[in-house]
Amino acid sequence: MAIIQYTLKRLLLMIPTFFLVMIIIFLLVRFLPGDPAIAIAGDRASDADLAAIRERLGLNQPLLVQFWLFVTNTLQGDLGRSILMRAPVTDIIFDRLPTTIFLTVYAVSLSLLIAGPLAFVAALNRNKWPDAVIRTVFQVGLSMPVFYIGLILLTFLAAQLRWFPVGGYGDTFIERLHHLFLPAVTVALYTSAIIMRNLRSAIIEVLDAEYVQFARAKGLPDRLVLGRHVLRNALISTVTLLGLSIGNLMSGTLVTETVFAVPGVGRLMLEAIFARDYPLIQGLTLTFAVLVSVVFLLTDLFQSTLDPRMRLT
Amino acid sequence: MTDITALSAEATIPQKTRIELALRKPGFLVGAFIIGVSAMLALMPGVFAPYDPNLIDYVAVKQAPSWAHPFGTDMLGRDSLSRVIFAYTVNMQMAILATVFAMTIGVIVGALVGYYRGVADMVFGRVVDAVITFPFLVLVISVVAVLGPGLINMYIAITLVGWVYYARLMRAEVIAQMGNDYAGAGIVMGYSDRRIIFRHLLPNAITPVIVYWMTDMALAILLGSSLGYLGLGAQPPQAEWGVLIAEGRNFITTAWWLSLMPGIAIVLTGLGFSLLGDGLADLLRPRG
Amino acid sequence: MRGKLLAAAVAAATALTTPAMAQDRGGVLNFARYDGSKLIDPIYADRNPDIWMVGSLFDTLLRSSPDGNSVVAGLAESHEMSDDGLSVTLTLQEGLQFSDGAPLTGDDVIFSLNRARNPDLSPWAGLLGSIDNVSASDLTVTISLKAPDPTILSMLATFNTAIVSKSVFEAADGANDQEKSASIFAAGGAGVGSGPFYLSGFEQGSSMSFSANPNYWKVGADGKALPYVDGVEFQIIPDDATRILKLQAGEVDAAEFIPFSRVAELEADPSINMNLYPSTRIIYSPINTREARADGTPNPLADVRVRQAINYATNKDALIGLVLQGAGKPMTSPLMAAATQLSSDLGPLYGYDMEKAKALIADAGVAPGTKITFTTLAGSADDSTIFAALQQMWAPLGIALEVEQVDGATRGAKNRSGEFDIHTYGWVNDVNDPSQVVGWLGHTPTAKAVGTGWENPEFNSLFEASATEINAETRADQYAQMQKLYADSAPLLFMYETPFAVAVSNAVEGYVQTPLGNNIFEEATVSR
Repeated sequence: MAIIQYTLKRLLLMIPTFFLVMIIIFLLVRFLPGDPAIAIAGDRASDADLAAIRERLGLNQPLLVQFWLFVTNTLQGDLGRSILMRAPVTDIIFDRLPTTIFLTVYAVSLSLLIAGPLAFVAALNRNKWPDAVIRTVFQVGLSMPVFYIGLILLTFLAAQLRWFPVGGYGDTFIERLHHLFLPAVTVALYTSAIIMRNLRSAIIEVLDAEYVQFARAKGLPDRLVLGRHVLRNALISTVTLLGLSIGNLMSGTLVTETVFAVPGVGRLMLEAIFARDYPLIQGLTLTFAVLVSVVFLLTDLFQSTLDPRMRLT
Repeated sequence: MTDITALSAEATIPQKTRIELALRKPGFLVGAFIIGVSAMLALMPGVFAPYDPNLIDYVAVKQAPSWAHPFGTDMLGRDSLSRVIFAYTVNMQMAILATVFAMTIGVIVGALVGYYRGVADMVFGRVVDAVITFPFLVLVISVVAVLGPGLINMYIAITLVGWVYYARLMRAEVIAQMGNDYAGAGIVMGYSDRRIIFRHLLPNAITPVIVYWMTDMALAILLGSSLGYLGLGAQPPQAEWGVLIAEGRNFITTAWWLSLMPGIAIVLTGLGFSLLGDGLADLLRPRG
Repeated sequence: MRGKLLAAAVAAATALTTPAMAQDRGGVLNFARYDGSKLIDPIYADRNPDIWMVGSLFDTLLRSSPDGNSVVAGLAESHEMSDDGLSVTLTLQEGLQFSDGAPLTGDDVIFSLNRARNPDLSPWAGLLGSIDNVSASDLTVTISLKAPDPTILSMLATFNTAIVSKSVFEAADGANDQEKSASIFAAGGAGVGSGPFYLSGFEQGSSMSFSANPNYWKVGADGKALPYVDGVEFQIIPDDATRILKLQAGEVDAAEFIPFSRVAELEADPSINMNLYPSTRIIYSPINTREARADGTPNPLADVRVRQAINYATNKDALIGLVLQGAGKPMTSPLMAAATQLSSDLGPLYGYDMEKAKALIADAGVAPGTKITFTTLAGSADDSTIFAALQQMWAPLGIALEVEQVDGATRGAKNRSGEFDIHTYGWVNDVNDPSQVVGWLGHTPTAKAVGTGWENPEFNSLFEASATEINAETRADQYAQMQKLYADSAPLLFMYETPFAVAVSNAVEGYVQTPLGNNIFEEATVSR
């Protein structure tokens, strides 16, 4: 079974990658100026108090010992206790991760709903005015900083028109869709622009391909040609693009979550960095790496099943 | 990472016709015009700005747009128009310096590992995976925190991460080009590796990289302004669009002009780079 | 409605002006915070969002009087200091209960105070270093001291000495005190404290709920037990602009930490009361006074004349106008806010005087174009404004001011290592006594005089002597001398005091933020 063999090989290759990620993040956080003691109590505590806190947190141990503990504990599924939140890192991450995933999936779905049809319109009217208008509008969306467009949406749609709540994320599924609509739209403005560009190119490529020109010349109705060839090609390229940008998408929610007060992992990461919460930063980074790697793998598997030209190597 | 799949075909139409074709596209012309004007503002802000962008006037704070101050004044009484214009220098510099080193390193590394493959390629694969699976903003924020905030350190941070995307792109292109006859012919004729890579493979494989570069420059401005919002980018009192927007967003209902004008500047510049990139793609790959 | 000015807010804080609708009971107050609590436990609270909520869930033996100059009854209805200053005797009120109805006894007091002064547990144990032993029989609690301690009564009114239930701690899961505390907090519910509320819900980084403690001892204006509201719902909204929008949209009843640049706009809003509560918060900038910088180059700021010159060249009123839109006042004591006990009013410190500044600079022989780096907090609009203004204000002195933006932890590390020229900083008292802030800002052994490296033997010995001085007049004199010494040698750029800005909807009355920052909801009401 080629697929199983390939999957196993990819999973094996992830081991050195994760190890590399662990080394980088472990060293990076310790190179950051300041430490958890200073970040949390430093603005008021005396030098002696800080020394006591460091002792308690085990920050006085040699780096190698700390790294060894990090690796061995991680292998046992223990990411340590957050210094800032004083709770196990795994609990905190599992508490907050679903919100970010929800927001990301929501935003991607919205992007597809917006970008999909418009990409077809743009591609079929290539270089005519609908194409120009659609591309310009998306480009404007792509160029707006999240912390600006987010606030504009909040000010007008939430605070003044009161169509949406200003913050929070609701309890039920429907409530969540309502609460997270504005943050999702904000993220979608960016992703839909990228998806639109990519889809448009992919569709044009198929339309220009000889076999499609031939099919059209043979008199096959456009709808059939589009359905058969274009859709598949468009799907492959979009899934590939989304898979590749999943990392950027999820870490991009950092600013969105701050502006909209959404308690996801993006904001958590920012808090963790500012508090120099070593275990939490390490745990979040590793979780992120695992998540992104798995999505990459799934993308490649999906691609290879849909497109016979993509050989698994 | 955008439309690289669609851009790999080889050019067959003569250079002159291609330029004529490109010049007939309004998008390309508009893009070139925007970037040209932006470059001019960036190089000579003093010629166009009516005031010293950092001159504080305690008695003229947050004034609405007027003939004296077409974009109004900010909370320190500084002229907004002059600040937006002077920010062109920083933001255009960002677009170039945050990307050009990443591109250079990426192109060289990508070409080498694509050509030689083997162990180097294996190691490269793991490094790429590690960097790509690392949360991008976290890496940039941490590097900036370690090195200290400021534009130069921000460029270093973005380069440390950004080169990977160029290298991946270049590697894939080189591998694709290696399948073509001319590369094989070069090897048969006994050309040196260096000659094959830099004289033959690289020029043919560079097109998607250049197109991606245009998008990347627009994204670099956005990223730079996000870091400015977090206080990790340009340093005060230097005007930078992200910082200007961040300063102005608190007054979005009372002094809207403070955030709107730099917002328009970011959008216009991003649009310019993108149109130019699309135009270049057509220029280097004339299809329809 | 007009925003309340400082004086009016003082009146509100004293609670002499009982809210007109104090008998309005029930309802839930929705409150938007700038940052969330992580763990509310008297001895582990180390960040302001934790410290300032301790008083809602727990009670202290004594309380600060509303004006902050003395202590009044808390869980203890009376207290007495022995003549030799070596013991304090307190009498607990009768019939005290924790929020679950269990009795609060002397055993709980002993347990709580021993926990609070255990240096292996609490970062605040140093504040209670003078305590030798705590004992109790029936309602009488006796605290014996190793040496006289003029601050001890204030310490018994401070968050870290709040009383927790011994039996709840003994029954809690966890291998040690930290884990027990975390699991009690995670479980929530009544019983661990006796404050006006108990924790009834908590979502990390997003929300927190307090419910009224039905067994609270304090009585409201209507003769029934406080608090008036059924509970308080907190939402965490870190972005200033979003937090204000949330209030304007009516989704919350109050929003704290309003940026001063928005105060005027909210004061003009008829549906919102913009409160500016007097605080012990001071904004100042430590100056590196060491002979050489950390990199070995000579430090121009080691010369007291240069430090005085930049102080004179700083137009504080202009800064207050630019940064606080006028909602603040220049520091009048070099070591503390005017609201703190024992503060000397030395008038506006180093009032703007460019001629004096230029003369001092010339006298010190500072070369034109001398570079000085000003370290600010990244992302802080206030700090950027301060920098831009100072750069222009100091230019006539020939000082080329450069900026370095860092995050809070980096700034803290630089302060400790002395790798800075000048940096922004702020302080809010945790204790209703000046010893904490004076030790921090001026005493070299505590924290190198707030990282400045300033060392004045006379100051240090005055501070150490004052730590055991129980004669109020002598102590006041020592504090006056310290303030004079400190002002003259200017180890700080003295800036200003700022109030706490909290905007509340018209439906809310009686909410108070104390000068120490504590959020007080026990007398708050909401009318719907």
